[in-house]
Amino acid sequence: MKSTEDVNRVMEAYADMVRRICFVHLKNRHDTEDVFQNVYMKYLLYEGSFESNEHEKAWFVRVTINACTDWLRTLSRRKWVPLDVLAEESVVLDNPSKEVLEAVLKLPEKYRDVIYLFYYEEYSAVQIAKILGKKENTIYTWLSRAKDILREQLGGEWS
Amino acid sequence: MSSTQNMIQKSMENLQATEEMKQNTLCYLEEQRTKQKRSIPRRKSQVALRYAMAVLCIFLLMGVGGYSIYRRPVSYISIDVNPSIELAINRFDKVVSAKGYNADGQDILQHVPLKNISYMQAIDRLMQDAYYSRFLNKDSQLVFTVISEHSDVMLEQIYTDNRFQRYNVVTYSSDTACMKEAHQYKMSFGKYRAFLELSQYDTNITVEECHGMSISEIQNRIRTCQGHNKKNVMDDNTTNGHKNGHSKSHKHH
Repeated sequence: MKSTEDVNRVMEAYADMVRRICFVHLKNRHDTEDVFQNVYMKYLLYEGSFESNEHEKAWFVRVTINACTDWLRTLSRRKWVPLDVLAEESVVLDNPSKEVLEAVLKLPEKYRDVIYLFYYEEYSAVQIAKILGKKENTIYTWLSRAKDILREQLGGEWS
Repeated sequence: MSSTQNMIQKSMENLQATEEMKQNTLCYLEEQRTKQKRSIPRRKSQVALRYAMAVLCIFLLMGVGGYSIYRRPVSYISIDVNPSIELAINRFDKVVSAKGYNADGQDILQHVPLKNISYMQAIDRLMQDAYYSRFLNKDSQLVFTVISEHSDVMLEQIYTDNRFQRYNVVTYSSDTACMKEAHQYKMSFGKYRAFLELSQYDTNITVEECHGMSISEIQNRIRTCQGHNKKNVMDDNTTNGHKNGHSKSHKHH
């Protein structure tokens, strides 16, 4: 079982990332909080050790994505975002950002992961393939398709 | 940084874990840590206890099962001279009980331990006993009556054993129905078989009379009757022996 110091450290280091991955998948605060707790609970009970901070971060990414997928699968949670789902986040989002986020959230689940990891976490396609356990070419294909969809939805501002 | 990346990052950078979310999670993890610490030793001890109980049960079952198999007699030998002694024998050819059916038999069993040794050893131990050997004179008969699925093998083993060659050994086989009847009359089934044989020739003979007679006396009476009614005896051997149904004579002389 991990020590309190370790838990506090990873809370500071990865809380925002875990929260974003949860939100990209679950699209509501209530489910996000539940899965957020589950991810940290898995860390608390994790018996293995990490070779580096990068290894630790990749572990959090993978475990969070898996936890979200399990959550959606077992509870048959909604997969597509209602128009007002971002209302609770609107306080902190300006109009263009809200529009982009809505477009990202409307993407199929697998595309949301690669878009988030590629653009926000700045992972390479090779790293994403490793984290998600997919072939590199698959990641390139997903990225390309996701960008096409976003371009279609967001129009000219999307390059 | 490309504009695409810029847009995505901008759209998400304000999505942050709130302090409330972090604190709630930390509190929840501490609660879980405390619970786990309490439950792990208990769980470990419960698992260990279950394993120990299972192992104990297996050993007990094996022990009880093995012991009950060991204790269960599958064959019986009635040894009659004047002392009448019955041996109950398990599937491993070991004597599991020995009972005297008259005063002499009971006296001998007081000082000759026969349990948990092979029946051949038990018989030999009886023959070696000074008190018992007083009954084994040249006129007396040593009658072995066996009830077993393998009575032929057992009788052959007893009859051909060198240690018993010097005695006047006679062997018979019988069955459990005969034994039950014998025990109702508090008589060994070997002696009761002899009574049944005698009763074929002497219809006036009673079990009570036979109680007071040694096996040699009963056997002598049978021979006497056979001599007097030679012709009838021959008829009886072919009819009454089977009619009786209790004894199968495998007499070895």
